[in-house]
Amino acid sequence: MNRLCDSMEPKVMDDDMLKLAVGEQGPQEEAGQLAKQEGILFKDVLSLQLDFRNILRIDNLWQFENLRKLQLDNNIIEKIEGLENLTHLVWLDLSFNNIETIEGLDTLVNLEDLSLFNNRISKIDSLDALVKLQVLSLGNNQIDNMMNIVYLRRFKCLRTLSLSGNPISEAEDYKMFICAYLPDLVYLDFRRIDDHTKELAEAKHQYSIDELKHRENLMQVRLQDERARQEELEKHKTAFVEHLNGSFLFDSMYAEDSEGNKLSYLPGVSELLEAYKDKFVIICVNIFEYGLKQQEKRKIELDTFSECVHEAIQENQEQGKRKIAQFEEKHLSSLSAIREESELPNIEKMILECSADVSELFNELMMLEMQLVEQLEETINMFERNIVDMVGLFIENVQSLMAQCRDLENHHHEKLLEISISTLEKIVKGDLDEDLPDDLRALFVDKDTIVNAVGASHDIHLLKIDNREDELVTRINSWCTRLVDKIHKDEIMRNRKRVKEINQYIDHMQSELDNLEYSDILD
Amino acid sequence: MEVLREKVEEEEEAEREEAAKRAEWARTEKMMRPVEVRKEETTLTQEMLRDLEKKLSEIQIPISAELPAFTKDTIDISKLPVSYKTNTPKEEHLLQVADNFSRQYSHLCPDRVPLFLHPLNECEVPKFVSTTLRPTLMPYPELYNWDSCAQFVSDFLTMVPLPDPLKPPSHLYSSTTVLNYQKGNCFDFSTMLCSMLIGSGYDAYCVNGYGSLDLCHMDLTREVCPLTVKPKETVQKEEKVLPKKYTIRPPRDLCSRFEQEQEVKKQQEIRAQEKKQLREEEERLMEAEKAKPDALHGLRVHSWVLVLSGKREVPENFFIDAFTGQSYSTQDERFLGIESLWNHKNYWINMQDCWNCCKDLIFDLGDPVRWEYMLLGTDKSQLSLTEEDDSGINDEDDVENLGKEDEDKSFDMPHSWVEQIEISPEAFETRCPNGKKVIQYKRAKLEKWAPYLNSNGLVSRLTTYEDLECTNILEIKEWYQNREDMLELKHINKTTDLKIDYFKPGHPQALRVHSYKSMQPEMDRVIEFYETARVDGLIKREETARTMTEYYQGRPDFLSYRHANFRPRVKKLALSSAESNPRPIVKITEQFFRNPAKPAEEDVAERVFLLAEERIQLRYHCRDDHITASKREFLRRTEVDSKGNKIIMTPDMCISFEVEPMEHTKKLLYQYEAMMHLKREEKLSRHQVWESELEVLEILKLREEEEAAHTLTISIYDTKRNEKSKEYREAMERVIHEEHLRQVETQLDYLAPFLAQLPPGEKLTRWQAVRLKDECLSDFKQRLINKANLIQARFEKETQELQKKQQWYQENQVTLTPEDEDLYLSYCSQAMFRIRILEQRLNRHKELAPLKYLALEEKLYKDPRLGELQKIFA
Repeated sequence: MNRLCDSMEPKVMDDDMLKLAVGEQGPQEEAGQLAKQEGILFKDVLSLQLDFRNILRIDNLWQFENLRKLQLDNNIIEKIEGLENLTHLVWLDLSFNNIETIEGLDTLVNLEDLSLFNNRISKIDSLDALVKLQVLSLGNNQIDNMMNIVYLRRFKCLRTLSLSGNPISEAEDYKMFICAYLPDLVYLDFRRIDDHTKELAEAKHQYSIDELKHRENLMQVRLQDERARQEELEKHKTAFVEHLNGSFLFDSMYAEDSEGNKLSYLPGVSELLEAYKDKFVIICVNIFEYGLKQQEKRKIELDTFSECVHEAIQENQEQGKRKIAQFEEKHLSSLSAIREESELPNIEKMILECSADVSELFNELMMLEMQLVEQLEETINMFERNIVDMVGLFIENVQSLMAQCRDLENHHHEKLLEISISTLEKIVKGDLDEDLPDDLRALFVDKDTIVNAVGASHDIHLLKIDNREDELVTRINSWCTRLVDKIHKDEIMRNRKRVKEINQYIDHMQSELDNLEYSDILD
Repeated sequence: MEVLREKVEEEEEAEREEAAKRAEWARTEKMMRPVEVRKEETTLTQEMLRDLEKKLSEIQIPISAELPAFTKDTIDISKLPVSYKTNTPKEEHLLQVADNFSRQYSHLCPDRVPLFLHPLNECEVPKFVSTTLRPTLMPYPELYNWDSCAQFVSDFLTMVPLPDPLKPPSHLYSSTTVLNYQKGNCFDFSTMLCSMLIGSGYDAYCVNGYGSLDLCHMDLTREVCPLTVKPKETVQKEEKVLPKKYTIRPPRDLCSRFEQEQEVKKQQEIRAQEKKQLREEEERLMEAEKAKPDALHGLRVHSWVLVLSGKREVPENFFIDAFTGQSYSTQDERFLGIESLWNHKNYWINMQDCWNCCKDLIFDLGDPVRWEYMLLGTDKSQLSLTEEDDSGINDEDDVENLGKEDEDKSFDMPHSWVEQIEISPEAFETRCPNGKKVIQYKRAKLEKWAPYLNSNGLVSRLTTYEDLECTNILEIKEWYQNREDMLELKHINKTTDLKIDYFKPGHPQALRVHSYKSMQPEMDRVIEFYETARVDGLIKREETARTMTEYYQGRPDFLSYRHANFRPRVKKLALSSAESNPRPIVKITEQFFRNPAKPAEEDVAERVFLLAEERIQLRYHCRDDHITASKREFLRRTEVDSKGNKIIMTPDMCISFEVEPMEHTKKLLYQYEAMMHLKREEKLSRHQVWESELEVLEILKLREEEEAAHTLTISIYDTKRNEKSKEYREAMERVIHEEHLRQVETQLDYLAPFLAQLPPGEKLTRWQAVRLKDECLSDFKQRLINKANLIQARFEKETQELQKKQQWYQENQVTLTPEDEDLYLSYCSQAMFRIRILEQRLNRHKELAPLKYLALEEKLYKDPRLGELQKIFA
């Protein structure tokens, strides 16, 4: 590339340069005078043009938060950087630079038009964040692998692509390949793709594309499945009964229980375990279903509550709006009357009347608000009582079900102990028929050891059950308190906001009136 | 038996003769009449005719006076089928049964009037009433339901009162005749309606009974016109919303309950007084409207139609008065009693007391105590369920009575003697006789016309009056059809002088409603539009002398309302027209719907351009959770500061109130840009208002043109009225006809004259066939030669004449005038032309003759009649 500025010193993007550019490209004529008078803040700038400036490094752009369009073409930039804060950017031109890799664009989610024409890029990647991309210009680069095209399939909005001047564009199959792999593309290398070409391309590459599509579909399905499972679990979690619709709890009880596992090899224990598991799982499922049902109930309760509160607030707002509208009508007419009145005492009288009106409006609005606050407080308290009762009932029932679990465990423990002791006796007597695994046989040395082993297993199981119960109870309690807190806080916030709004409005009215007074006096 | 039959035959013959005579007479009479009419036409001028017509229409025919007689003399019975003129044996039998029945009845109930069983028909033949009913399903879907059917009958026929109001008529004509003449008495009406209703599946009966004076004379002047009755507003039941669990309690009511009660009491008293006054007023009015007492009350014979519940999802029994086509409940007090009723299968006599009109009657025709049936066999109506228990006993009775009523039981009603009811599409469309009908209601007059009868498309007009005498017009409603400008209804209120035009979709300016007092511009008017048909989404434009208000819907810029105030025009320019001199605008107010794409505090809800004060006021939309909205006011006075520089923008030029103060809006630059934008918008709005004014002018002009032209549209499917399609069809028919002629020509039988010489029907022998062929061929040859000779002769004659002429010319060439010379020359050229043509024809004939000859020979070989020939050559 033969550039005029090649010989010149690289320039630094500093504040002065940016200010100059902003000033030049800002409003002109009368508006320009105003702008100069006031100064332009960088964050108000929507479009910035910085071309042919011999810039080497992108810098100092962090203030341009609301920038929509940025032109940095015809510089000597080597690396894309410093654009992280420009999240509203729609149009980015980095053509005729010395960029080698695409990078630093991960935060520009609104980007629609990206030009990297005439750079030194050899691979298309790191564009995943640019979901809205419509126009991509990558001509005159060093892209040499056709597989880069497949990467572009993920941009569903992409309509215009230019890749001419790359090594791949020399390939005989270049156009067909792109048309086939990017069927939604409308313009390639600044030319419209006609339907005939599209058909031909599709026919030519049908096999490989079908395969690709199949693979993509599979991925899609898998993702969806995963998402659905995640959602299901999330739903269970909000009901605080996740993993209770199966043998998960039971399995976890035995997961860390080495003695229990060993003991299961004792004769008769496996049958016992099987029956125990069945019963246990049934109770777990009971808890699960009960939990879902309760969750549904709580949800309905919450929905009705928020609906009612919303209605009340709406109704109140309507009343307020009506009051204000009435007031404004009257106020406007009295203001114009004041303007037309010439007698000073009369004016003063009317202004007094007006301010009386304003304060009356203030009183009315505040009264409405106070009324609403009282009403809402009552309702919120009622809701709080109800929801706390509900949660209490739920906990109680779950606890009783958990107690059943514990009973089962105790029962199982007794049985197991019985079997163990009888087995020990048999071993002591030496008339045990079956072979036992060695580590199990090691337990049967004396009565204490075996009793301890069985007891340890029992303890672990009970601990697991207790933990699960505790988890459930604490979580639901914290949910409940958080919910109630949030409702109270929201209500307080709402109240403050409304009071502020009313005050602001009244102040404005009053000041308007005062201004009128002054101007009248001046007149 | 034999003798009897002969006698009957003799009688019938005599009857037939008589009928023929009558027909002849009628024909001569018919012949006579047109002559008379023609005479009248020659003597009367068009104007006189119109005058006469007017006068005639003014003459109100008093109801009691003699109406144009609709007697047998005027009926042409010659075209009627035989069944009208004779009775089949079965019918004779039925008549005997009926006579027997009638005798028994008069014996049992000597104090009741004789039955209306078998009146004479138009051919003077007694026919049983049930056989006069001819159930027919009409081919018009409009006539499938009872209401439209009844309306049609009442529109189609002209009412003729009974000759004797106290007796059933002596004649009952067939529906064929009634339809032909489009008039009839109540029995004709109900017979026809009943036939149509039974045909379309209703359980309908003709009733012979007694009606009130109004009913018998089709007098609707005491009825409220059904069109003026406003449809009852369906009271929407406000669903009581159940208070939800967390609905907030209403604030405590701090008013005194005692005071409230007192207030309610006071208001009740006032209301009671008002009510009382109203009632008195009403009573007074009722008194005035009440009919004079009728001396013949309860004796006037009337016939109507009874429809019983059950079939066609009819929920309960009701009457239809065939005169008016209106339905009445069976409790209605205008129906004073029932003598008998019949359908196409049976005849029933009412055995119940009618002292309380028809209110106590029970229409359970299966109950032999209440309804005495004539024929046993047709057990159409069953006894009601409650008496089903003793059906066993009835059966036993039947067994006992078996011998007695044997003949009755085995007998069922013969088929109707009447032809199917046929109404031509033209007649169906024309509906009323001559396409016009006037009905007088209480304080209203309804006129109906057939479509396309009036050149302006008027199909009906309802005039409402203030008083009972119908002198002061209150309002006029006119309905139109098939208008090109889609005008549907014109409503003129005479008291306020307000005219409202209603349009169907499809007007070029998308008009829906146009209400106005005068067609002058800048007056009070409201124009409503079909907003979906307009690009700008305008729904309504209201105008007064000083304002114009427009309502919009569904615009991309969310404009919903624009209101412009005008100042009166400056006087000195009063001469120029409204177009070039728009009224100065004082104020434009525009309102917008919420644009969901913008945040509320940037979405303008209302902007007011105070053009006179150079002030622009903006009001923004209110955010969902706020009760106040942002406001901004721009003063666009351009001022000059002390140094003489123009002040571009100062903070006091924009006064704003913001609900949530924002940083960027405080900047002067922002305010300046906003103001510039508003200035542009102001210009646009002014232009819009001006354009709207122009559009109103245009609409008014268009409306005036349309009113003047009032063209009617004709459907492309209307083959009779659509001139273009008619022409096209006729052309097509002509083409087909010509084609047909040509085909006939080509199928000329060349063998026919020769075959005619031979005895017909015999198969040709070989010899005959050969001879026939030879004859045919030689004949054809001769004809060809003859034709050639003829052409040759003409050719020669022509050439000779030409030669003669040329000779003559050469002799007299010197003495000829230029005109003669011209004549000669033109003659020559024509003659030459003729000669050339003849020569060409001759040559062509010479060429074609052998071919034609061969073709004929070929044809003859193939002719099946000369099959013998083929056999030899085969």
